[in-house]
Amino acid sequence: MAELLGTSKESFIASVRQSLGRTGGEPDERYAPLQEDLSSLEERASNTLERLKKDRGRLVEELARVAELQGWKVCQAANSEATLDYIRELLQETKAKRVVRSDQEIFRQVPVDELLEGMGAQVQVMAREQSGDGEFDPASAELGITGVDYAIAETGTAVLLPRKGISRLVSLLPPVHLALVRPTEVLESLDDLYLLRRLEYHRNGGDMGSYMNFITGPSRTADIEQTLVIGAHGPRETHMVILAQE
Amino acid sequence: MAEVKTQEFQRASVKALADAKLQSLLGRSMGTFDGARQEAIEELTPQRWEEMREKGRAIKRHTLDNLDYYLELLYDRVTQNGGQVHFARDAQEARNIVGQIARSRGLKLAIKSKSMVSEEMSLNPYLEEMGVEPVETDLGEYIIQLAQETPFHIIAPAMHKTKEDVSQLFEEKIQRPNLKNIEEMAGAAREVLREKLVNADMGITGANFLVAETGTLVLVTNEGNGRFCTSVPRVLVSITGMEKLIPSLEDLGVFMRLLPRAATGQRITSYVTHVSGPRRSDDEDGPEEFHLVIVDNGRSRLLQDPDLRESLYCIRCGACLNICPVYHKVGGHAYGWVYPGPIGAVVSPVMVGLNKAKDLPHASSLCGACRDVCPIKINIPRMLLKLRTQLAESSDSTQRKVSIGEKLMAKGYRRLMSSPKLLSLTHRLGRLAQRPLLRKGLIRTIPFPPFSRWTRSRDLPPLASKPFRQIWAEKLGKER
Repeated sequence: MAELLGTSKESFIASVRQSLGRTGGEPDERYAPLQEDLSSLEERASNTLERLKKDRGRLVEELARVAELQGWKVCQAANSEATLDYIRELLQETKAKRVVRSDQEIFRQVPVDELLEGMGAQVQVMAREQSGDGEFDPASAELGITGVDYAIAETGTAVLLPRKGISRLVSLLPPVHLALVRPTEVLESLDDLYLLRRLEYHRNGGDMGSYMNFITGPSRTADIEQTLVIGAHGPRETHMVILAQE
Repeated sequence: MAEVKTQEFQRASVKALADAKLQSLLGRSMGTFDGARQEAIEELTPQRWEEMREKGRAIKRHTLDNLDYYLELLYDRVTQNGGQVHFARDAQEARNIVGQIARSRGLKLAIKSKSMVSEEMSLNPYLEEMGVEPVETDLGEYIIQLAQETPFHIIAPAMHKTKEDVSQLFEEKIQRPNLKNIEEMAGAAREVLREKLVNADMGITGANFLVAETGTLVLVTNEGNGRFCTSVPRVLVSITGMEKLIPSLEDLGVFMRLLPRAATGQRITSYVTHVSGPRRSDDEDGPEEFHLVIVDNGRSRLLQDPDLRESLYCIRCGACLNICPVYHKVGGHAYGWVYPGPIGAVVSPVMVGLNKAKDLPHASSLCGACRDVCPIKINIPRMLLKLRTQLAESSDSTQRKVSIGEKLMAKGYRRLMSSPKLLSLTHRLGRLAQRPLLRKGLIRTIPFPPFSRWTRSRDLPPLASKPFRQIWAEKLGKER
């Protein structure tokens, strides 16, 4: 049972209605997007996916180009060996000893644990169940590695949907974040993303999960004399590896 | 409610104009913002930008015209997501709601990401009084919290501080002496704030958008503090004005293209955070409780007036501040309340009371630049005129701006301009009368009222030796 604080919903909305001179009910003009039914949404989404599939090569290039502009360091890996090479170099450069990652399917494809542990780093999955043995405090990790749910070429954005196995903090606490992107996850535009999420919401009977994060390059601030400083509360360095097409 | 100093606009402006340091800062920074905005629009293409503006405006108009419906929908969907929605008619009620949530759960440390509505409410002093420590975590907001000041600009709250000011402030307030460059200062704030960010039990945020369809709150940020505020604390309270609604999740495609470009000239900000309720049972982290506080605090008065309603379309990008010749000179504090600049000159008088802010609708040359840069095409000059009319026609003599003298002058002017003979005579007399006043070709001071007041901050160009009518008669008219 929700607690009643402040003004009741009924009375608040009634007063808004009175200010507008409306009598209630549906909007004066129908708002087309909200009238759309599930099958129309599904159709649009499937057309979108078709288009993305056709354009995948171009979109991967565009993602790499824009992401670089937005402050990511981008690697387009030619093969799985190249992906591991990049991660190896990143570990050497950052001298990271403690690495956190999320628990995502992509790590079955990219075996970072073996690689990093082989180089003497500790790797910890950041999740409630795993954190019990506490090899190290996740807050002290120097590198965080995640997959993505989507990547948007238009804006150079990695989209993460935190949920089971995927903590909100892996891409936030450490000073360096590495995002692994599969070509199949690349979308062309913001519109593609919002359409797919909207479909998800309605297909699940009104739920799309608690959180969706857009990450576009490193954290930054220009709050003192409009001078850009890279690295505010989030990572100061962000790397994106786009895996080779399978 | 936040202390209202809108009555002091004139005095505050004069003070700002005399402040050489402030003038130099304003001169340096204001162009930077608008330059970035223009580049971002070029990159998107101006045609596409226009298309987005039209769409954005249509969406906002529809939503505000049917706000009761969308509030109802938002309430249902946030509740369905497991969140709680509270409604506050005014600032005090909003404060009480936040206070009751904190008190009943024994919360002690609140990390805040930028919220203009919490400034309207003066939330920080209220929380402090009840034993909750509020910490602003946006760097600009943190600086002004330490300085115990109010935001100077909607998106750059500490714009009026030099790095020397910040260095001194950090030495005095957080014992971090000898910080020389800006990077070090940002680093010091990062270290001090990190400890708060990971230990807080309460997160307080504003909202850039509220999606009615999915019950989603959207935060657009660059620093990452907004992500901490929505991820770490066990209770999340988001406070927002009721005008932030948009109907559909897909509408965000439009606003995500408009807001970052108009505000900072970015294609997109480093982070856009979408919160749809508290953590789900198998989520690894996130708040256990999500409260959304929807605040009126004078907005229904804007909603009620069809001529002023479009002021609620504002997405708080700050572009109108960055282009405004008045803001360029007087800065943000002169406006005397939470919202400065052209949009502030419209919303503040209605929210705090027109009789307390008579000067604000006049703090504009009506040049129209604000309307031209507005990503939602809000017609600010039209609304300023409307407020001026309200002031001039008010039956309450304390609200009336126009003095008897001014009315007499307007009458005289009308008489003068409708008689060519009288105009010609006045011109000749005026030329003689102005002679003793001329200094280097300009009239710097007229030593008697009411003109002395006018020339106190302005120079008057003298009457021309040959009036235009004469030039026309001798030359131009014949060429036709």
